[in-house]
Amino acid sequence: MLVFVLVGVTILVFIVTMLFPIDTRALLYVHGNIHDVPKAIADAIVKYNLKAPFYVQYWGWLSQLLHGNLGWSITSNQMVITSIATKWPYTFEIVLFAAPLIIFIGIYLGVQSAIHRNGPIDQVSRLLSIVGWSLPSFFVGLLLLAVFAGVLHWFPYGGSMTMSWTTFMGNPKNHFVHYTGVDLIDGLLNGRPALTLDVIWHCVLPVITVVTIDVALLIRVMRSSMLETMSKPYITTARAKGLSNKVVIYKHARRNALIPVATLSGMLVAGLLTGLIITETVFGFGGLGQQVVRAIENLDIPFIMAYTVLTALLFVIANLIVDIMYAYIDPRIRLD
Amino acid sequence: MSLTSRWEDFKTGMRPRLSEWRFMLKRMRQSNLAMAGLIIILCFIGIACLAPVLAPPPASNRGDPWIIPQDQTYLKMIGPNVPTPPTVQHVFGTTYYQYDIYYGCIWGTITAFRVGLTVVGISLIAGVIIGTIAAFYGGVIDEILMRFTDIILAFPGLVLSMAIVLAFPEAIPLNLSELFLGISAFFVLIFLGLKRDRTGAIWVAGFSVILVFSVLTYLYHPLILALNIGKLDKVLIALTLVSWPSYARLIRGEVLRVKNEDFVEASKASGSSDFRTITRHILPNSIYPVFIVATLDIGSVILTAAALAFIGIGSPPYFPDWGQIVSNSESVITNGVAIVHNFYTFFIPGMFIAMFVVGWNLLGDALRDVLDPMLRRR
Repeated sequence: MLVFVLVGVTILVFIVTMLFPIDTRALLYVHGNIHDVPKAIADAIVKYNLKAPFYVQYWGWLSQLLHGNLGWSITSNQMVITSIATKWPYTFEIVLFAAPLIIFIGIYLGVQSAIHRNGPIDQVSRLLSIVGWSLPSFFVGLLLLAVFAGVLHWFPYGGSMTMSWTTFMGNPKNHFVHYTGVDLIDGLLNGRPALTLDVIWHCVLPVITVVTIDVALLIRVMRSSMLETMSKPYITTARAKGLSNKVVIYKHARRNALIPVATLSGMLVAGLLTGLIITETVFGFGGLGQQVVRAIENLDIPFIMAYTVLTALLFVIANLIVDIMYAYIDPRIRLD
Repeated sequence: MSLTSRWEDFKTGMRPRLSEWRFMLKRMRQSNLAMAGLIIILCFIGIACLAPVLAPPPASNRGDPWIIPQDQTYLKMIGPNVPTPPTVQHVFGTTYYQYDIYYGCIWGTITAFRVGLTVVGISLIAGVIIGTIAAFYGGVIDEILMRFTDIILAFPGLVLSMAIVLAFPEAIPLNLSELFLGISAFFVLIFLGLKRDRTGAIWVAGFSVILVFSVLTYLYHPLILALNIGKLDKVLIALTLVSWPSYARLIRGEVLRVKNEDFVEASKASGSSDFRTITRHILPNSIYPVFIVATLDIGSVILTAAALAFIGIGSPPYFPDWGQIVSNSESVITNGVAIVHNFYTFFIPGMFIAMFVVGWNLLGDALRDVLDPMLRRR
């Protein structure tokens, strides 16, 4: 089943790549450092038999993919896989703050609005979730930038760190070691907490943007799941036993209501990790998402196709992890 | 059976359904949020209908309403790279290439309806047909169709539609013979796998004739139609390809729930064809959740389309489309201090998008409360 989806995903992406002209497709196969791009393309067409029928080419492409060769990216002037590896830490910095916030706020507000159904908390959080769900993310991002950076000057206009830190890190005299590639953590490991604080300062607005947009869905799902659970007979039983309201809500209802939310959170985090295309572009954060947009602007097809295939793979894996996680949340599944 | 008695039959059959609708309307009218959503949508419909009056297309574009007027005097005086703030002449200001924002927002309403309704409409129909067939017949057909939806659902919507928009050629030579060949072969296979009664045989015969015909034309003289595909059409195609599987999934679950109920058995036992059983008995009892999701989806389709436009793969710069208007000035507003001066370039079209989506979401949310039998009678 899982294998089937994985194979299907690669076939679908391959069909999409086949729609591109042959010169563009050739870049998918190029690897190693190239200096003469036209010659490399001509070589690749011959070497990988790019004029052969569809199914012959698919095997060639798939074996390249399995060997970790995703082609040559013109925009970042390096191998696609290296480019993704260097850009991804920036995305990770945002997700590190955004994901826990989204999950906790979503669950908290969802539960509160379900137990105070039609009360003021419910009305406010429902309105919030509808509005959050309806706003385009570039709109939220630009609005935050205009207000908090443009008018109030509390936060920077964008970027992932102050310029002086970039030059500091680039200077070999400072012996800055990239242990993890994530500047947030490297700052601490190098004994430069000021860098970490600087990165956090740059993260605030992007994180708020992501949370505003993505928490909405979680609140809705948590609320309806909680409402459904609260109407189950075992909740009535628990109340009839004379348990306190707190125990009924948090021990009996919330735990059972969390099950659909777990799937959603898993997919959400997977989605965040694959790059926040719009948010990163608005804030110029330089992560995977912004690199994708740069690739689109310059028609860097190998990067886009590699990105497409990788996101799908990540989603499938996230699905698998969520399925495994179910066993911990829902004991009934363990018994089966 | 005479026509009048059929009509009487129909009326008695419809009576419970009509009272159901009346009940829903009553519930809708009681909910403030639903009415707010409805009013917002009606306002947008009004704007869309009155677009030629509110923003008449200028003579300079030869009456083509789908080109935003560009202010030539500004272009000469200030140049294309500075948006101009609102004036009497341009109520909402102009964008990066001196395109009038007011005109774009008004005509963009029609684009928004076009994108939302086309994408959701087509993917709803495709999804419902595929999902119902999969659930009703089960077995191999179900396996194949559902694995296919699994594959598409494995991608994040924005990413896959991005790739499809980029890969889709500007003009495709559409081989009609090939298309008919594929479609008729598909239906012949499907109907061969179904109940082998008289109706089934008629369908197979019908599609086989088309199949033979298309094989012949394919071999001797393929009918090729050159289709020109505009930039917005590509977005529509990509979004439709990406969004039908969720409907197929949803309706499949609902049909599976209903298909073993007694009334379906009764319908089958009394000799109705599969088609009649599905359309008269199964779908009316399983389609409501799909409508709820579809209403909510119109909003999210608009958001995805706007996001695509923002990253530069939407319509051309002159096209009246809300996302595209913001995208025109992107290089100025994402570049530091200028964002405060050029506030209007993203705020006004952004508010149009937000209000449109809020309207549909409020409506969908209320529909869920009204239509969902689990929630409503409380």
